[in-house]
Amino acid sequence: MGAFIYKDLLVFWRNRKEILMALLLPILIIVILNFAFSGLFMDEKAIHIDVAVVQEDDLKKGKEQFAAAVEAKDLSSQEKNAVLAEAARIDPVQLIHDFLNSADMKEWVTVKDLSEREAAEQVKNGELDAIIKIPEGFTDDSLSRLLLGEPSQGSVSILAEEESREVSTLQEVVHNFVNTLNMQFALGSKGFQASSEPVLPQGGKEVVEGDDGADAYTISQYFTIAICTLFALFMAQTVALKTITEKREQVFNRILLTNRHPLFFLFGKTVSAFILACMQFMMTLAAVQLLLNVFPDKTITFWVGLVLVLMAFALTVGGLSALFTALTLHLSDSNAASGISTLIIMGFGALGGSFFPLEGLPEPIQKVGEWTPNGLTQTALIEWVQYSHLNDLMFPILFLAAVFIISFAISVSIFPKRGRS
Amino acid sequence: MLETVKLTKSFKDKKVVDEINLYLHAGESVGLLGPNGAGKSTTISMIASLIRPTSGDVKLDGKSTIQNPSDLRKVLGVVPQEIALYEELSAYENLKFFGKAYRVERERLEVRIQEVLDMVGLKDRQKELIKTFSGGMKRRINIAAALLHNPRILILDEPTVGIDPQSRNHILETVRELNETHGTTVLYTSHYMEEVEQLCNRVYIMDHGKIIATGSKEELMSILSSEDTIGVQLSKRSEAFTDKIKTLPDVLQVEQTKEGLRILAKKNHNLLSNLVHAAEKEGIQIMNYQVEIPSLEDVFLHLTGKTLRD
Repeated sequence: MGAFIYKDLLVFWRNRKEILMALLLPILIIVILNFAFSGLFMDEKAIHIDVAVVQEDDLKKGKEQFAAAVEAKDLSSQEKNAVLAEAARIDPVQLIHDFLNSADMKEWVTVKDLSEREAAEQVKNGELDAIIKIPEGFTDDSLSRLLLGEPSQGSVSILAEEESREVSTLQEVVHNFVNTLNMQFALGSKGFQASSEPVLPQGGKEVVEGDDGADAYTISQYFTIAICTLFALFMAQTVALKTITEKREQVFNRILLTNRHPLFFLFGKTVSAFILACMQFMMTLAAVQLLLNVFPDKTITFWVGLVLVLMAFALTVGGLSALFTALTLHLSDSNAASGISTLIIMGFGALGGSFFPLEGLPEPIQKVGEWTPNGLTQTALIEWVQYSHLNDLMFPILFLAAVFIISFAISVSIFPKRGRS
Repeated sequence: MLETVKLTKSFKDKKVVDEINLYLHAGESVGLLGPNGAGKSTTISMIASLIRPTSGDVKLDGKSTIQNPSDLRKVLGVVPQEIALYEELSAYENLKFFGKAYRVERERLEVRIQEVLDMVGLKDRQKELIKTFSGGMKRRINIAAALLHNPRILILDEPTVGIDPQSRNHILETVRELNETHGTTVLYTSHYMEEVEQLCNRVYIMDHGKIIATGSKEELMSILSSEDTIGVQLSKRSEAFTDKIKTLPDVLQVEQTKEGLRILAKKNHNLLSNLVHAAEKEGIQIMNYQVEIPSLEDVFLHLTGKTLRD
């Protein structure tokens, strides 16, 4: 059988176009998708911004104004005392200062306190990127909004000489912070702390999901797994469809005439597809890890689990390749065989979430998708990224092995027995 | 050695091969002639165990091969009409793959590959990819691949289609050598009558799925023993003159050629004086008049009413 496997691998290796399509294209697509969807250029480490905080607000005056406003309200004295006690604990200006000087923000923002005139001059000279202006009456306004539900009169504004990526990012971050602060008060979460997590843009590591104690997986990891499985399915077709040429050019008949059992031909295709899918996985993962560090800080156990699941999937690819090969020889019309295999692959690709995540689709479709070989592999690997529970890998591996056995059994049953038609 | 008994193949109720009986003695070189669609390739595929006959049998040394073609395949080499090779592999790699498939022992295979390459004259090109070869070179490797297991019987299905004269001569010489020196039994199909005449001791002529004549070259020629073929070269062409000749006594068929006319007439005819007389009347000069020795082509034309390349 070695001769058959070697022949198939050699034929594949000699076709430069196919090598490019099968081995380099997935890497290229993963890199492009990663750049396109993850905002790699927006890596927070690459951004640095110098800002001045111009404070026009007076805390004491603001608290007095707020106390007067509370007194004028139609509330019981008990309620008034409770609101004033809460207001005494909150310093909105200090919250913003603490936020801007938090460890996460310090990595990309340098803050200094300046007067408006000085700040404007430095922005004009290019020494500063932007000004965060805390307007007069901010304390009163914030407390009235947070504790009395009054409409906002004014808010923190960000001024800059020119619009830039850094300024936009700063605006987004500050507004997120203010909105979070408002929302938490609105929900009655009085235990708000300045150390609450700021919602930061996480360039290159956009979080797709992560709850119930699981590690988050990134969009890059999703693309890597999805594209790897999709291209492996294509590999099953690539190997199998060589049979069309072998049939048309009578090479298959010549092989039959050597008196070898025809199943050797089928075994050759199956094992070749398995080996090529494994090679494809290894090359893609190595390249993507090297270029994008898609799976950072992962343990050996993680990599072993990943390889085990992918090898089980490669086995399924071998089984599908056998099925497509047998179909090609079974059907008199090679185009029909090619059409059926394309339909199966595209169906698996779409249902299994290799083209797009299934989260947005109706529940029944998601359920069906999870039972496709690629869908199950993706789900298993994403859970492996999140939870790393070794037990969770058992079912997918067994399921993929079962798909291989069923595909191969069907292939053998429809494969020409002795070359007689 | 190898024979077919009432070999028949039908596709959708249409008989493509109709009760063919043919045999090959050991060491013989036999030609199978027929126009396109005559059923030659289907016959060969059935003999080679690639297509199951609708009825009839293929026997090797008196034993049926239909149920178990294994013994036949061991002694049979088939050169298909198509280039049944991997274009992406070199000549050597192709031969090595097919040699291994034939289970030729490793050490023996290396020797055998060089032998067959030498036989087809491509030893010095063995490392080159098939896709870089000319059509003729590909056909030579196509033959080499069928010889790896040293077959006793070699079936060649139009092995010289569309190739240069040099490769064609090489292939003919190879087949002749295999038959005469190595004693290989050959079944050769071709469109080219001269190849069959040159190589084969016996010929089967097929048309519409049936064998319409068989025998040695001489035996087939004798079919035309009651007729003569006459080539006439004329100073100019004239439809009126051709029509006139058709009406002459003893003339069976008249065909216009580039030089003049080709006339099929009864043996012992008295055509020349009538021809001269008719030419004078039309003002045409007879430049040459030759009674031709009949060829297999003439036999074929006589039997089927068409030429081999029709």
